[in-house]
Formats: sequence, C-alpha cells, structure tokens
Amino acid sequence: MSASVKRERANRSGSGSGWLPAIYLAAPIAWLVAFFIAPMVILLVVSFQKADVFTGLGSFTGWSNYTAFFSDHAQLRVLLSTAIITTASMALMLALSLPIAYLLAFRVGRWELPLLLLLVVADELNPLIRVYAWRMLLGRDGILNSFFQLVGLVQHPIAILLFSKFAVVLVMSMEFLTYTMIPIYAALKTVDPSLLDAANDLGARLPVTLRKILIPLAAPGIFVAIILVGIPMLTEFVTPALVGGTSAYMIGNSIEDQILESGNWGVGAAMSFLMLVISAVLALVAYRVGKLNRLETAA
Amino acid sequence: MKRRGDGVALETRSDAPAIEGLDVDEPGQPALETGREPAVGSSRWARIGGWCFLGFVLALLYVPLLILILFSFNDSIIIALPFKRFTLEWYRQVLADPRVLGALGNSFLLAATVTPVCLVLGTLAAVGLTRFRFRWRAVAAGLIAAPLVVPDLLIGVGALLLFIRLHFTLSLRSIFLMHVVDFFPVVTAIVSAQLFRFDRSLEEAALDLGATRREVLRYIILPLLGPALGASAIIVFSWSFNDLVVAFFTAGFQTTFPIWVYATLRHAVNLPVVNAIASIVTLGQIVIIYTGWRLARRFSAARADDRGEATGLLTLEGIGGGR
Repeated sequence: MSASVKRERANRSGSGSGWLPAIYLAAPIAWLVAFFIAPMVILLVVSFQKADVFTGLGSFTGWSNYTAFFSDHAQLRVLLSTAIITTASMALMLALSLPIAYLLAFRVGRWELPLLLLLVVADELNPLIRVYAWRMLLGRDGILNSFFQLVGLVQHPIAILLFSKFAVVLVMSMEFLTYTMIPIYAALKTVDPSLLDAANDLGARLPVTLRKILIPLAAPGIFVAIILVGIPMLTEFVTPALVGGTSAYMIGNSIEDQILESGNWGVGAAMSFLMLVISAVLALVAYRVGKLNRLETAA
Repeated sequence: MKRRGDGVALETRSDAPAIEGLDVDEPGQPALETGREPAVGSSRWARIGGWCFLGFVLALLYVPLLILILFSFNDSIIIALPFKRFTLEWYRQVLADPRVLGALGNSFLLAATVTPVCLVLGTLAAVGLTRFRFRWRAVAAGLIAAPLVVPDLLIGVGALLLFIRLHFTLSLRSIFLMHVVDFFPVVTAIVSAQLFRFDRSLEEAALDLGATRREVLRYIILPLLGPALGASAIIVFSWSFNDLVVAFFTAGFQTTFPIWVYATLRHAVNLPVVNAIASIVTLGQIVIIYTGWRLARRFSAARADDRGEATGLLTLEGIGGGR
C-alpha cells in the first residue's frame, strides 16, 4: 500500500508515469482519433484527389483543387463577401456586447445572475428557430413590413430587410451575441471594482477609466471573443441559406454546394482544409492571448 | 444629461456631478464609503440608460420568439399583420404529422444517448488531464480542445467523406458517433475547471489513508462535481438536440428535428405549422434548461456561490465556439 501511495505522490508531484493517465484518457483519445482526426486527415487527402463520387476513391491530382479554387473569381468574391459579412456582424456584436458586459460586471448588482441566465438560455435555444423568427419578421410580406404598411409608415414593403447582406449580418449577430459577450464579461470580472473606485477617488472620469483600466484589462477578452466567434461565423452556411438568398452567399454555402450539389469533392475538401488552417491559426493566436491574460491577472 | 441611447451608460459620467463628496477637484480629500457599487457612472441617468440598453438587447433576443409564438395561434396561412382569429389548427396539424413527430423523436433519442456518453468520456478526460502530469499532457489537452474550435461544417464534411470511404451506412448511428466527438470536449472543459477549483487535500488525505484511486473517484471527486456535470448535461443535450450542421452531412436518409425545419424552410415560405412546433420546442427547451439548472444546484455538494457557478459555466461556454 505504501508503495502505491508513493507512486501516487510521484504522479502528483509531476515526475510522470506511463500508464495511470492512460486509463482515463484512452477512451476519449481513441474516439477523437477515430472520428475527429481521421475526418480531418481524409479532408486533407481528398483535397489532393480527383474524387469519384461513388467509391470515394480518387486519383492524386496535386495542387489542382487548390488552384481551381484560387483561380475562380466567383469563389474569391464569395470569400471577400464572407469576410465583409463577418466583420460587419462582429462590429455590431461588439457595439452591443461591450456595454452589456460592462453593465453586467459592475452595474446591475443582484440582477447579475438572472440577466446572465437570460442571455445564456437565449443562446441554448434552437438557433434554427431563432433564425426563422427573424425571417418571419423581416420578410417582404413579413410582420415588420405589414406593420409599417398598416400604420402608413411606408407605401411599399421594404425589400432589403430580407435576403440581403443586412439580414445575414443582423441575424448572425443575434445568434452569436452571447458568445461574444461572455469572454469580455469574464475578462472584466477579473477587474477589482476597488480599482475603479480608486480611479474615481483620484479624479479620473469615465473616459480616462475606460482608456487606462477597463479597455486594457478587457482587451484579451475582446480579442478572444473576436476570434472564437469569428471562426464559426466564417464557415456559417445555415443563416445565409435561410435569410441571405443569393445576395449574401458565403464560403460555407459554397463548400456545401461543392460537396452535396456538384459532387466536386476535391475542390470542396480543398476549401474545407483551407478554412481549417485559417481556424487553427486564429485559434492558436486566441490561445496565446488568453493565456497571457491569465498570467497577468494571476500575478 | 441629454445623451440617450447606446453609449449612455458609458458616457454620462463625464457630465455627471461629482458623487457623494468624492469631489474630483480635491484629490487630497479622503475617500468616503460609496457602498458596494463602484463609483463609475453611477449617476441616476446613467443607471436608467444602462437598464434601457439591457432591455433593448434582451428584447432583440426574445421578442422575435414571442412574436413567433403569438403567430402560431393566428388563423391565417400568411404570417403577417393584421392578426386574424385565434386558432389551434396549426398545432392540430403539426402534431398529426408523422414526419415531424418522427424527427422530434429522433432528435430526443440522439440527445438522450449522446449526453451520458459525453459525460463519461468528458469526465474521464478531465480527471486524466487535471490529476496527472505526464509527458504528452499538452498534446492531449490540445487535441481534446480542438473539436470546440474547429467549425462544425468542416467536421461534418470530413465525417461524410470518411463514412463514405469506410462504406459505413449513414444513419442516426453516424450522427451519434460525430456528436459524441464534437460535444464531449465541452464536458472536459467544464469539469476540469471545477477540478482545478477544488482543494486537493481531500483527495490526498484519502490516498494517504489507504483509499484506492477508484474509491477516491467514487466517494470524493464525483460528489464534488455535481454542478459541473449538471451544467455539462444541459449544454450537451441542447447542442445535440439543436445541431443541424453535423447531422446534415451525416444523417443519410434520417431526419432529425433541425433537419426537418431546415428542409421545410429552405423550399417554402414561412409556415404557421413551423411556428406551432417551434413554439412547443422552445418552451420545452426553456423548461428543460431551467429544471436542469435547479436540479444541479440542489444536488451540488459543493454549494458554489451563485456567481462563481454561473461565471464558471459561462466562461467555459465561451470557449466552445462551435455548436
């Protein structure tokens, strides 16, 4: 028994042992390798193949799937429009979530938990239903337009409300609002409220407090929010398909078309793999920044 | 004090009179007790502006859903004002549709099987990662975090290509396999955070007194994990039930509830039957999330204070970029 206790101690103090962690990690890692790593490897392999739709087997074609993508101007325009939509949504979400995070962290007192719960519950509801609710409101013959006409605000329905870039930006922002707010809120929570009191006592007005205390301390949270929310938005295809129409076609829609509609697996896989690389780079950057934040606040 | 609107809570302080004797022109004056509220922006107008802003954002999140529910009772195939008569027709129609019920049943079955498997795998991984130091720990941690960051679209496409190559028939089983790998890492994230927070002396004392690893897990670690496991279960169940993207690529000829909604809306205008079933599902989800949250709190051995628990849950949810 004492030998086993010694071994446990050794583990805890960090001198590494082979098999004990393996008992815990074997099953999760095996599942990951089979159904996460393997699909990613397949993506990479297929992106260099001219794949046959029926067997899934294909012949090696070098970089041709990648060059096919980069030499297609329509695809590059889609990529650009994806970047524009994502950036605009991000700006809107930051404009909404910065004040919200600040208010929740410092201003609402005992309402903090109920308000947080409301924000999180909204986020856990079915995103498709939330998209549909907006589509119902924004449509050409939808609720907002019929309301505007009923009260005589406009003569003809406003067509741009739905099936436009505007619609995708608005609806995606609503979908990801909680995700954007949380990291910023978490970063602000690490600010000791007495710091704000001290700043105030020393004569700092809010703009100064913002510039010298709140923004610098929230910056890593803001950065992490931008990246972690930006990654899924870049590959979004459901929202543009439902509220974007042809005018807000995004790279996610394009990938879906290549894979499911045109059976163009090689190009679809190449595009997917490019997006994977972009996601991985962004995630690493977010990880570094997030870690930096933790070290700073721990000190 | 006439500024209104978005920035009001952050800006009006500069116009506000100096508060409660903390005169900014006399920095030498000793600070007075200002209560538990920090002094920034605590003027009355800033407060009102702040609450208006909060109300506005919550309205953006919830009012569309309330209108959706309202129009599920409207006696007209066209969803627009003016409101016609009250009717339950759409509920009658949608609850008599075997495709809808089948899709709902599939989604429930899926979420109900994915959740326990994710809890087990996620907790195992969390204990393995937090209670040992070993050579490949950073690699293992990065690998487990990866599905949270990689977009669902890429996971779905990759899975489709993999299953086809393996000649694996696409069905609920393939969605199950993918949901587990996509969602168990969030359990690991939440549970690890809880494990980090705990004092390890309990475990060490038990080990010193001769408890085996298994006994420590059974009698010490698991009871302390109540709230974390509850939160994880709620999140995994919701994500699995709500997922369209991964299921869309790996479902084959099976239909889950999100797939049915998507297929219906893709090729049709707005339909009141969708309003009806969406209302039922939304209210059901709110009830499930709320009850789950209450249960997790009730049975939590840890009795974490509300705020710690909420921020823990939320911060970690923030990590999961994908759904």
